[in-house]
Amino acid sequence: MTDKQSMRVSPNWLVFSLLGASAVLLLVDFVLAFFVAPLQPGAQVYMNGQPVSALINGVAISNQLLFSQKIFYFHVPIAIGSFLIFTFAMVYSVLFLLRRDKVYDTRARIGMEVTLVLVLLTLITGDLWTRHDWGAWWVWEPRLTTYFILFLLVVSYFVLRGAVEDEERKATYAAVFGIVAWVDVPISFVITRLVPSGVHPVVLRSGGIEFIQLLPFLLGLVGMVCFSWVLYQLRLREEFARERVEVLKTELEG
Amino acid sequence: MDPVLQEIYKTVFSGAPYVLAAYIAILVGLFAYVTFMLLRVTKLEKQVDLLQSTIERRSAKS
Amino acid sequence: MERAVSDRPKISSWRQFSAILRKDIVAELRTFEMITSMGLYILLTLVVYYLAISQASGEFDVREISAGLLWLAFIFTSLLGLNRSLVHEKDQGVLEAILLSPIDRPVLFAAKAVGNFIFIGIVELLSLPLFYLFILQGKPIEGPWYLLIPPLLLGTIGIAGVGTLLATMSVNTKGRDVILAVMFVPIMFPLLYAAVAATSAVIAPGPEGMGPYLPAMAIAAVYDGIMLLGAYSLYEFIVCA
Repeated sequence: MTDKQSMRVSPNWLVFSLLGASAVLLLVDFVLAFFVAPLQPGAQVYMNGQPVSALINGVAISNQLLFSQKIFYFHVPIAIGSFLIFTFAMVYSVLFLLRRDKVYDTRARIGMEVTLVLVLLTLITGDLWTRHDWGAWWVWEPRLTTYFILFLLVVSYFVLRGAVEDEERKATYAAVFGIVAWVDVPISFVITRLVPSGVHPVVLRSGGIEFIQLLPFLLGLVGMVCFSWVLYQLRLREEFARERVEVLKTELEG
Repeated sequence: MDPVLQEIYKTVFSGAPYVLAAYIAILVGLFAYVTFMLLRVTKLEKQVDLLQSTIERRSAKS
Repeated sequence: MERAVSDRPKISSWRQFSAILRKDIVAELRTFEMITSMGLYILLTLVVYYLAISQASGEFDVREISAGLLWLAFIFTSLLGLNRSLVHEKDQGVLEAILLSPIDRPVLFAAKAVGNFIFIGIVELLSLPLFYLFILQGKPIEGPWYLLIPPLLLGTIGIAGVGTLLATMSVNTKGRDVILAVMFVPIMFPLLYAAVAATSAVIAPGPEGMGPYLPAMAIAAVYDGIMLLGAYSLYEFIVCA
């Protein structure tokens, strides 16, 4: 039973070294983002109707410098991480429907749990940014709206699971709903390209990014993906251990 | 301070608390979750070992 | 099992389809239960809308938000209807009986979805004049009225298709109608957004005029295509579970 391929979990050393790696990557991301990457120039500074500039470290700066752009280095990696993990969970949902192995359902469910954590963190960090930059706690904007819908869908996934009693049926329904709900991921991803709103810039397409800004972002992205994978593996091991406890308990009683 | 510089850095200081809060939210959220997970996994795996050894002892006795 | 089925003469998909659809229509014609309850519900919704509109100032042009109001009424009414249409099947054991017969599962989905499409469509058509009378109160529709047909059609196709899939799931859960709403509304959101944008472009064009109409219709069409294909192929898993 335990040596079945679908039940395999990653060994301890891999989980812990990836946890370490993600910690290092996120730390480097932090240092680069806050101490190395330049502040993003914002609106032109005017005084008495005239554009003005000041020398900072020998360079003439004539735009406002935006500290809030720093959120790009960790908010966006988490958001992309949530898309990736949701996709991962969706693939396991498909596998469950094809192979009818309960383990795939467990994997899909845990993937959705990690998705929920990442989605919540994205919403919280995005909201703090919204409050500062747009002056409101909530703004109905295409990306925000579709992402909020994503959050609702992940929550409904668990509501649906809670409402079905039969285990087999619960797994099937959850898999089907997970696949249908996943459609919102590409929608949320491309919505800023379809409906230009100007607040969620298409950074990579517009080419307005320097290497020193891209590097911490990419490090953060890899770090976040490693981190979510560790979360997923730990949850998976917990679930398998719990099942094992149940099996051993009945063995002990019988 | 130079008024021009003040204007240039205007949003830096007002933005800092929000950026900081966002960063802390992420760190606390992720690390709380991972520690919680680690604790639960170790506890459960210990339980598995305990049960396993109990079963072995019992089968050795009989 | 395989042999037993293949020995019998195969009933054509079309005959299976029309048999189930006819059953649904005959059952409805006998009681008019779905259409009456949905019709009453949408009428009540329009009456309640009056409460909101009655508080608005004189300059307020209801046409600017009327597309949203219209689709809001449609979505919640169809929620009611979808739930009804499958609760009956479930409670009287019709679904089990159908599943015992040699009917292809995708055909079953198609028949149920078309049935729901017809009933929801009838209620929508009946409610449109009432909406014009109660909510628009004679204010003219800016664009050509026939342009309202594509968004209505695409929206209703999506509602009936995805709704049939989700309602078949929700009848087997503990919270039935609540679960249906919780799943249905977020899933339908993109389609609803497109339908409202297109309808609004016809009723009260904004500064961009009819500009948003075609993109919105394109989004709705793509969404319907993907979702119907998905629902059609996933239905088998749902009814067999």
